[in-house]
Formats: sequence, structure tokens, C-alpha cells
Amino acid sequence: MLIQADELSSFLQRCQAQSLGPYREVHFPVWPADRDSPHAVLALAPGQARPALDGHRAVDPAKLLFYRVRERLAPFSADASATLLAGVKACDVRALELLDRALVNDDFADPAYRAWRERATVLSFDCTDAAPSCHCTLVGGKPYAETGFDANASRFGDHYYLSAATPKGDVLLELIRKNAGGDTAHSAIPAKVEDRRAEMTAKVQRQSDAFARPDAFARLRAAPPKGWKEESAECVGCGACTHICPTCYCLILNDESRAAGFVKVRSYDSCQWHGYARVASGASPRPRIDERFRHRYLCKLVTMKAEFGTLGCTGCGRCTDACPGGIDFRKAVQKLMERAGDERPDAGAR
Amino acid sequence: MKPNPYEAIPAIITETVDETPLIRTLRLKPDRPLAFRTGQFIELGLPGLGEAPFTPSSSHFVPDILDVTIMKAGFLTEHLHEAKPGDRVGLRGPFGSAYPLEAFENRDLLILGGGCGLAPLRSLFLTLLDEIHRYKSITFYAGAKTPQDCPYKDAFPVWRKHPKVKLVRAVDAVPLGEAWDEEVGVVTVLLGKLDIDPASSPAVVCGPPVMMKFGTRDLLRLGFREDRIYLSMEKKMYCGVGQCRHCLMGGYYVCKHGPVFTYAQIKNEEGLWD
Repeated sequence: MLIQADELSSFLQRCQAQSLGPYREVHFPVWPADRDSPHAVLALAPGQARPALDGHRAVDPAKLLFYRVRERLAPFSADASATLLAGVKACDVRALELLDRALVNDDFADPAYRAWRERATVLSFDCTDAAPSCHCTLVGGKPYAETGFDANASRFGDHYYLSAATPKGDVLLELIRKNAGGDTAHSAIPAKVEDRRAEMTAKVQRQSDAFARPDAFARLRAAPPKGWKEESAECVGCGACTHICPTCYCLILNDESRAAGFVKVRSYDSCQWHGYARVASGASPRPRIDERFRHRYLCKLVTMKAEFGTLGCTGCGRCTDACPGGIDFRKAVQKLMERAGDERPDAGAR
Repeated sequence: MKPNPYEAIPAIITETVDETPLIRTLRLKPDRPLAFRTGQFIELGLPGLGEAPFTPSSSHFVPDILDVTIMKAGFLTEHLHEAKPGDRVGLRGPFGSAYPLEAFENRDLLILGGGCGLAPLRSLFLTLLDEIHRYKSITFYAGAKTPQDCPYKDAFPVWRKHPKVKLVRAVDAVPLGEAWDEEVGVVTVLLGKLDIDPASSPAVVCGPPVMMKFGTRDLLRLGFREDRIYLSMEKKMYCGVGQCRHCLMGGYYVCKHGPVFTYAQIKNEEGLWD
């Protein structure tokens, strides 16, 4: 379906004001109102801000909206009202695919995440720009989503090409057709969209060239301790990289302190913090910063891949932007892969 | 649909036993039975104060009562040491892997433990005693720092009377003024007197990391097979279900794939003994 860009933007704003559709909550990135910034932010509360549907991924990862910094897990009662998450880019959609496997699986389901997933419709948008730290192409991604969304919007000229991938996406597109004048004559991706996508992919590839490395990441385990020490030299262990990472979901389980019964609340934890893996006796498997730094890199590029079949890095580059020490994830991986060099991959790597 | 793994099962403390100045056993009656298998762990918490992983120390054949032996180590455990009969606690679980009792059948089993590691081993031992006809013999070597630090003081004299049981205790040191008529030295020195066949016998090890490390080393030297040495690992098993990632050890979640592993399974994992 084709739709005028302005029409879609105004449709989403009308949805957010609750005058359209079943969506009780509508979230999309917005341009910061008070300054001229190329960086869109996710609006946690509905407001008057202008939707930032194009460009590159927002400063904040989409997980902030559905895997909240602080969230009650027990007792838990699911909110069934429909939610629309629009304007997320391929890197956040790919993160959703990992989180789906990590948080709702054969062993358990995170009640809050599962409830959100059931009520949420995800409308992703192709990137029309790349942030300086964007590097999805280095981790097997593209600046547009091919799976994982309910519906996707691809910008070209003054239009979007909309396609649905799930029944929830069909519902959304039908609502758009009725209320925003979508042109349904087009059911195949226009050539102009393909051109645009190829152009964007080339742009991300160009800026990633300087950080090219082999992608046999299991070899990272063989990088020598000296390499990890050097790459983590500027790390202060603040955990910003983990909190802003779209696939990090490590949690602290708190008890509500004033509750009469048992109330479990989860909040974000970080493997970069010293107490993270410390046991009652005081022993910790990773007492040093370089050990914890290594743990994160291996988690993103080796462990999560083995566990979920997909890398824990989607190439969004937010960890690089967030790091107060100026550590560039791309550069560090490149150097560590070089150091791992001819070493044989660890037989125990899973 | 799967139940919410974060809902706690309320339980009442029916009895408390102060085992040592630092170790205490709580006897709990959960509102609904919690069918654990020996070796598995639970999360035990006080409302509003948090929870932590503990291994039950009672036989898994006792259905509605659960003993949990707790060492004072921090905020929560200090509160648990102050708890009184009638107080309410919350339980989640059971979680993780159990001791493979079928692998011990018709064999001479060695149990090697120290300190608070004796809690899961008491559960194992009592569970084995409940079906002792299945097993050939049990050699139980138990270590503690000093005589005063030995838990289950009243139980040991009873246990060692059993004809199929050989039970020896060792303490690292005997301070002046304390009486002790058993072995002195780290618990692994007892292995020198072992009179079962290492090549065909399973061994279970649980204790502080350093004890497990050297205990495993000595067992391997004696000729125990890597896949018959069962280790109860302790990492930060926080959520119990493999979500929080704190207990990841290489590619294993200790809470989900463990806590009971064979040495063969995990010998190459980083930070094994840390």
C-alpha cells in the first residue's frame, strides 16, 4: 500500500491522541522540541512532539518501552489494551527477535514482556540515514527490516510503501487505509524502494569499511588478556553500554520493601558492575574491569549467538555513543579479532 | 500457559535449629507442597527484604516439610537468622538439576563436603538413607573449620551407626578449649583412607570453591572418572529460570543446566572455581 508521508505521520499522531483505532498507547520516536538535533528520542509519554519516523535509529533503544527500567513481575496482572510501536528501525526489530527467544521460551516466560508482546503491534521504518556509529552491515544486518515486524514502512520520495507481515499488521494497514487514504493498488515493493534500500546499505557499508573484520566471532575467546586490558583501558565500568543496548536484558530482582506480601520487581542490572556475579561468600568470577568488559563482548558476539541463533549485537552503535570513555565497539572488536589472529577457536565455545 | 516464575509460594517457619554460630536450619511448611528432587535449589525470601538461592537439606521423600540450612553471610541471611517459628517466608522453585540417584545404584558412593556445602549433602544423604537398599555403601567425608563450626551435631552419631554408612569428619583446626576426637586437617586428607574402588564409584562434591577445586583434583588423581564426579556449583543463581544471566558459566546457566554438573561437563568452563 502506498501512502503520502504526511498522511501517515498525521495518522500516527491522531492514533496517539486516542481518536483513532484500538491503540491505547502509541509510541514513536520524536524530534527533540527545543533544539535542532539529528537524533530522535523515544517519547515515553504522548505529547505534541513531531514524529521522527525517518532518519536513523533513535538515541534510546525501543526496549525502554516494553522492558522497563523498573517493572513489577509478581503479582502480575496483564494489561490487554493494544499498543502501537511505530518508527523503530531494523536494529531494534532485530533485537526484538532475540528478546522473544530469550524472554518467552520453553523454560519460562517473563510475564510483563509476554503481555506487552501480545498486545503490541510493531510498525518498523526503513532507515533513510545512518548515525556515525551505525554498523548493522558489520553484524549481518541491513538498514531495513525484513522480518520481525508486524508492518513495515519504506520511505521513497513523498511516499511510504507499507506492507504487513502478520494479522496485527493487516489490522493496522486496514485502519490506515480507512482513515488516511492509502492507495492499495500497489502490492509489490516499488523499484524506488529497492533503490533507496541499496543506497542506504551502501552508505552503512562505506562507513563500516574502516572497521571490517572477520565474522568468526567464536575466535574472540582466543584474544589474549593483554588485548582485553588495552581495549578496556578507558572503561570505568558504568554500565551505560548495557543499559542502552537493545538486546541486554539482565535484571535485578527486588522485593517491594513496603508491601505486605511478596512483590517482585525487576530493574536493569549490568554485567559491567562489580557486584553482578558476586556470590554470598564474596567470590566473583570477574573481579576486574577487563574481565567484565570481555564478558560483555563475548556475551554479545558468542554466547547469545549460541543461545538464540542470532548475535547479541544488532549494529545500532548506541554503546559507542553512550560510552563516557569513548570506547568504539567496532574498533575494539576489530582489534581483538586481529589479536585473536591465528589462534584456534576455543573448543569449549558454544 | 506457563505459570509466572516470579510468584512466591508462602511458607511458615515451624522450627529453627541453630547448628553453629553462623549456620541455622529452618524447618518450613509451604502452603502447597514443593516437590523438589535432592540437589535442586529453591529461592527463599522474606517479604520486602529479598530472596536468595538455597538448597533444601531434607530428604526429597518428605513431601510437605522442607529443611533449609542457612549460613549467615549478609543482609537477608541475617534476617533469616532472626526469624522465629510462625514467621512467613516465600519460596520459588524448585530449580535446576538434581543428583542422578540412578547413577549411584548398586555402587559405593563417596560424598565429600565442607562447611555450608553440607546442606545439600544432608539432603542427598537422607534421601539415600530412605532407599538405602538401592545402594551398596555410602562413604561420607564431612569437613568444617573447627568443631564448633560442624552442623548437624546431633545427627552425625545416629547416621554413622548405619551398617552401610562410613562417616568421617575432619576439622581444619581445634582451638584451645574445644573437644574433638575425630580427624584434624582439610577434608581432602581423608581421601588417603578411602577403601572403595575409584574407577567404578561415583563421587559427589560440595563445599567452598577451594575445597571443590582440590577435592576434584584429588579424586581425579585417585582414579575417579570425570563423568562420575558430581559437583554442586554455586554461582549467583538469582532468578532461577535462566533469565537474569548472573549465573552464566561459559555456555551454561548454573540455575538451569546445574547446579549439579559432572566434572566432565564443565571442566573447560572459565571461572569454574572462582
